[in-house]
Amino acid sequence: MPCLDADLEFRRAAFRLAARIRVPETGITALVGPSGCGKTTLLRLLAGLERPMSGCIRHGERVWFDQGQRIDLPPRHRRAGLMFQDYALFPHLSVARNVAYGQPHGDGEGEVRVWLDRLQLQTFAERRPHALSGGQKQRVALARALASRPEVLLLDEPFSAVDLGLRQSLRLLFQEVVAERALPTVLVTHDLDDVRHLADRVGVLIAGELRQFGPTSEVFSHPLDVEVAQVLGWDNRLPVSGCEGGWARGDWGRLRLNGSCSSGFPEHIAIRPHGPSLTDGTGLSVEIARVTDMGGYRVLLCRLPDRTALRIHLPSDQHPPALGVQTRLRVPDDCIVPLPAPALGAAIPASAFT
Amino acid sequence: MTPWLDCSPAALLLSLEVAGVVLVLFLVAGIALGYALSQPIPFRNLLDALVSLPLVFPPIAIGFFLLMLFGRHGVIGDPLHQYLDWDLVFSFPALVMAAFIAGLPLVVKPIQSAIEGSARELIEVSYTLGKGRLETLFLVVIPVVRRHIAAGLTLGVGRSFGEVGMTLMLGGNILGSTETLSLAIYNQVLDGNFACATRLSILLGALSLGLFLLLRRLGRL
Repeated sequence: MPCLDADLEFRRAAFRLAARIRVPETGITALVGPSGCGKTTLLRLLAGLERPMSGCIRHGERVWFDQGQRIDLPPRHRRAGLMFQDYALFPHLSVARNVAYGQPHGDGEGEVRVWLDRLQLQTFAERRPHALSGGQKQRVALARALASRPEVLLLDEPFSAVDLGLRQSLRLLFQEVVAERALPTVLVTHDLDDVRHLADRVGVLIAGELRQFGPTSEVFSHPLDVEVAQVLGWDNRLPVSGCEGGWARGDWGRLRLNGSCSSGFPEHIAIRPHGPSLTDGTGLSVEIARVTDMGGYRVLLCRLPDRTALRIHLPSDQHPPALGVQTRLRVPDDCIVPLPAPALGAAIPASAFT
Repeated sequence: MTPWLDCSPAALLLSLEVAGVVLVLFLVAGIALGYALSQPIPFRNLLDALVSLPLVFPPIAIGFFLLMLFGRHGVIGDPLHQYLDWDLVFSFPALVMAAFIAGLPLVVKPIQSAIEGSARELIEVSYTLGKGRLETLFLVVIPVVRRHIAAGLTLGVGRSFGEVGMTLMLGGNILGSTETLSLAIYNQVLDGNFACATRLSILLGALSLGLFLLLRRLGRL
């Protein structure tokens, strides 16, 4: 399967979306971002349900949309299997007929049966969607999208309507099926666990702009700026008011950075929860506000002098401090990530898409 | 006592014939327009305004303008008379036209709003699954909005049964020829025959109610 490339701009009223994205032929590419940032709109643009103002969308050698050449393939000719957030199953059709709906002409019942078996839906085949649970509906929607033999799979919050227990098994099933079909797949989600578990690459979309794109581990460990860090769940963010001799400072205290700050200092720094430790020596002055036992580790909620909260993960074998105790927190410099101010409108380097 | 059907029997038959024809027209045009108006088509707003016009414009005034257009000396009526030797006004087709125009927005609007609401996402799914507009209309839209279609038809045919203003202008209220049930009630009241007017009113009400119940049942299927 060839990869999917898009470089497009879309406007509706005050909302503007500008994104360049490359979805490789294998693996899952996730799109994350705050509500209203344009994730679903981008998916709809790729599927042909919305028309970009300019730009182009290509799937391998096939042009789906090109404003310059006046090409705009209708959704039915793009062969993009789109799975909607609420599944959008046809209420008047049985499960089997829902799955068979998008089958290319000539495919027999065999293909439907294969997907019903594969997704363990055979016992519900004659039921209507209203008689199914959330997880069953999700599987029917996935089976329907896959039975239509799509060349690209677009998924909008596929796990948002299922409970936590079911979500894990559905993720595994989904991962297996997508890997088996080797399809370029775009997953739009709010759930960072979905991204960590499923995605090979992730794009962070903020206010209609694709701010960062790259391998999941790379993007999660090195967020480009403070807004990206916020989207990716970096809770420990400290504003920096100055920097001297490699030491960043703020009302919260000061921390040694990995490198000098002669060419300027970051707007914020983020602190990884794993790595910092309590010490009697030098470090940030903190007060222990809460200790939560998570099984294998403890989460310490530490208050800094300016009342900012830091969440630190402490191994369970370390003695938990008492609440209200004033102590010191040693933060190794490799646990500190500098976060510059967002560079709005900056293009993502081409290397991010390779 | 005058038997029920002896009060303007031709009017009852004529109203039923008009209702039968407009029911078929509503079914075709109502679904087609409801579907078209829910899609991003050119001149959508203009078409929407035209369809909705009878809801806000007085029927007698619409009837008058149509009379001016389709009358023997009208912009459309004149060539029809000259080249086809056909006069629309004061004929059965004129009654159908009056009933159709009066009831059309009541059929189109519920269908359009259902398609724009609950059916929109399903239509989009159908497109992404490789189906065209026509296939989607028959495979998804009509089955999904069938209750709204039934509701629209009930309202539209009910409205056409009770149409007076436009029917009077275009049909001419000719006894035994273009006198519908509603006009017959009006004529009976003018003649002072209140007993007949009462019976015809009950008959018209019963017909509308029967139609309402029938279409509601069909919509549930």
